[in-house]
Amino acid sequence: AAAFGLYFPRKEYSENVYIDQPAGTPLLRIHTLRDSHGEVAHFHLCQNLIISRARSHENHWFQIREKTGLLYLSKSLDREDFNMLSVGNWMPLSKVMLYVFLSSHPFQEKECDSATRTTVVLSLMNATAPACSSLTARQLCFTEMDLSFHIKENKPPGTFHQLQLPSVHHLCQNLSISYDLLAAEGMPFRYNENTTGVSVTQRLDREERERYELIAKCTVREGFREMQVEVPFLVNVLDEDDSPPFLPNGTDTAEAVVEFNRKEGTVLATLTVYDADTTPIYPLESSRKKYTGSIITDDPWISETFRVEHIFDEIHFSPNGSQVRGTQHEYKLVLNKSISVTEHRSFQLDVLVNDTEFPGPERSVMLHFNVSILPVSIQFPNMTYQFTVNRNAERFAQIGKICIENCMKFRGVNISYKLLSPNVSCYPVSILQGREGKWGSLYVNDSSVLRRPECKEIQYTIQATDKQSRKHTKTLLTIVLEGTLLKKEEDCPDSCAVSKHRAECEECGGLGVLTGRCQWRQGSGKGITTNYSTCTPSIKTCPDGTCDVIESKDPAVCPQDCTSGNIIGGHGKGTGNLGIKSGHGICYCFPRQNCYCEKDDIKEQLCDEMCKTVI
Amino acid sequence: LAGPPSPPGQDPRGWRAAVDCVRANELCAAEPSCSSRYRTLRQCLAGRDRNTMLANKECQAALEVLQESPLYDCRCKRGMKKELQCLQIYWSIHLGLTEGEEFYEASPYEPVTSRLSDIFRLASIFSGMDPATNSKSNHCLDAAKACNLNDNCKRLRSGYISTCSKEVSATEHCSRRKCHKALRQFFDRVPSEYTYRLLFCSCKDQACAERRRQTIVPSCSYEEKEKPNCLDLRNTCRTDHLCRSRLADFHTNCQASFQSLTSCPGDNYQACLGSYAGLIGFDMTPNYVNASTTSITISPWCSCKGSGNMEEECEKFLRDFTENPCLRNAIQAFGNGTDVNLSP
Repeated sequence: AAAFGLYFPRKEYSENVYIDQPAGTPLLRIHTLRDSHGEVAHFHLCQNLIISRARSHENHWFQIREKTGLLYLSKSLDREDFNMLSVGNWMPLSKVMLYVFLSSHPFQEKECDSATRTTVVLSLMNATAPACSSLTARQLCFTEMDLSFHIKENKPPGTFHQLQLPSVHHLCQNLSISYDLLAAEGMPFRYNENTTGVSVTQRLDREERERYELIAKCTVREGFREMQVEVPFLVNVLDEDDSPPFLPNGTDTAEAVVEFNRKEGTVLATLTVYDADTTPIYPLESSRKKYTGSIITDDPWISETFRVEHIFDEIHFSPNGSQVRGTQHEYKLVLNKSISVTEHRSFQLDVLVNDTEFPGPERSVMLHFNVSILPVSIQFPNMTYQFTVNRNAERFAQIGKICIENCMKFRGVNISYKLLSPNVSCYPVSILQGREGKWGSLYVNDSSVLRRPECKEIQYTIQATDKQSRKHTKTLLTIVLEGTLLKKEEDCPDSCAVSKHRAECEECGGLGVLTGRCQWRQGSGKGITTNYSTCTPSIKTCPDGTCDVIESKDPAVCPQDCTSGNIIGGHGKGTGNLGIKSGHGICYCFPRQNCYCEKDDIKEQLCDEMCKTVI
Repeated sequence: LAGPPSPPGQDPRGWRAAVDCVRANELCAAEPSCSSRYRTLRQCLAGRDRNTMLANKECQAALEVLQESPLYDCRCKRGMKKELQCLQIYWSIHLGLTEGEEFYEASPYEPVTSRLSDIFRLASIFSGMDPATNSKSNHCLDAAKACNLNDNCKRLRSGYISTCSKEVSATEHCSRRKCHKALRQFFDRVPSEYTYRLLFCSCKDQACAERRRQTIVPSCSYEEKEKPNCLDLRNTCRTDHLCRSRLADFHTNCQASFQSLTSCPGDNYQACLGSYAGLIGFDMTPNYVNASTTSITISPWCSCKGSGNMEEECEKFLRDFTENPCLRNAIQAFGNGTDVNLSP
């Protein structure tokens, strides 16, 4: 809490000042509200007028009554003063600023650093004061600034504004200007007709209601004429930390299970804490310090392995029909590092949530996470793998995937697959690590072996190893070679993607083909589409929108997924600017060079009905 | 109402003709007393507020001497050579002179004296028709066509569009930083008769309004996963000299006032539209929030959620974009091809 709690109900006040207004002219009245009973406000001006950012000038003209907060002219401003104060103002309207300071004791000399201050903006009107008859009712009644105030909750009542404008009242004494404040029934505000003061009549509670919308009404009477002006009058209630944290439905426990997902950064469980107070997200750091959540443990392994992430968000309560802002805090239990597959334990982890600024014993809540860390076994499903490979397959043909049990569910577990070489000379296949270290991809590494008649059935042992724990497991893999050798076509390109037409595509082979021949994918042919026509080693894997590990070994295998070069024609690029995600018509590529997407020319019928009859 | 714009070089209010800060810095450096005081002042201002600074005799003396130097009133021009250097010099003096955080800051840029009507005159020359005549056409499409017929506009426009729609990786669908840079180049280097037509074209149907909303490629330059709090965003913007200057310029030229017919300071629409376009490509990038044809709502990518006790201030800040009669009138006036008639 501050040393003293007097405060201004507005951040800024404004008024116009005219040339040659006489000394003693009242300009405006500033009010304060108290923090506790018995405080007395003392107002004080600082030495300088702020003209613009870089300019200031000693104040010779304005003074404030220390007790009442009435700001008045102590010396008339002549044209020369005006010109001097307007220098450096390049706005159409010259403005000077004054700071009014506040203290609960009489001011000592030069006390200009009190934190409690408000700004008065004076617009220098380049004219003498207008005649009352030339002012509109709006100008006679209210200043340009919105009537918007803030009042702190739980503070004693008091007067915080005066509707009457001292400057107008002083200038236009023969006009009758009266005010009224229109408020709905039961609002805690009162208007005093004699002083035109508006006061708050009771302590406010922001958690009950945080906004009051009233209407200030002004009536100007001039002989038989009567004019009325109405403007909104808003009061915002400022929040202080007067509510403790509480748990929705009393839930203070959550289950947190670690099994296949063991990766650093995984959110295991979330518990929610509510608070009826607001928590500003700006500035963020101070709110983080204000509301803390910390793991209570003396086990170093726990504090290294887990962390708590705190996010909060604004929510709304409706205590009695009006919407009131509150806060929802979420405390997430997060893995601070990846956990080994061998780890096996369960325990209760406690998190202490503390609303540090709440004055009272209920400021903290204990959250419990029932953590169970289960081990996962590294083993192949109980079977041996068997793949058949066509003898006409080319290098980089994809044969199949190898995967230990539950491998697709793993996160943060890195499995590496290895082929233990057989003691034969037939050795056509290799294995490559798939992305994210989950599975292994089998592919043809040496196609010449496939053509050798003595190689028929090859036995391998596959080993899968968990990188972190070095745990490993083995299984058998049989590769059966089948099919009869086809004659190699002459002058075929080594990449399927080069072929533009179905016929040339299907009579050639290329890198990555499974049966010796490329495959043709017939697209739908509607504009630029993901389903474009193209020639590929295998429709199953290319183009499928991802450039997998085997395709990325050689740019000739599947440029449709992997190209980073230019694509000429209507197209859309794939993720990371690789490959052709969508194309117009037929897309074909020259590896390491450009790709082209174009509509095939419409083949005219060789002979139409007319021509046939002639023949 | 303000008078007609004065010819450049002669100032309307009797203050010294503004020198830009780069030039002022050179003039000051050539003069030993000025340069030593400037150094002193910069040391004084480092990390202190005005009051503590003025409490020091030496600092006060330096300030008084510098009040007479050209550095004191120096300004910068939008898109000038060495703009960033100019702004660095400007803020090196002005930052320490703030009284804490001000809601509105004065613009470091020179006042704009040109008018919308100047743009219309130019625009009607190259479009061959008055923008207000043809009611059936799609103005935003016409603006894109006009831009494509101009080499410079076409080059920089396709430049920012391809930069802003280039996917970086599966997680990052574009490089926001590069996109912003390309947008800034477009709005700084292409004449406003092209850029304003793209930004502020008037629309009668949704397709046109959607095209207008898409002008700055909002999916990359504007939208983000999370909406930050506006005060937080303002704070981020104020840590950067350029963004801070553009925001101050926007507040200076688009601040709604009751003193004028149009709600704009000095009834100058051109100045407001220019400072709006000057914000594009920074953290405070504004855009149309939807493709509505009836009401124009502009906002930066932020909200007042989570403002705590600063909600009033946050909403006031946001309203300068979303409910700003000056900005709205300026955009509508440009769309209709009308400007304020200033009596000569």
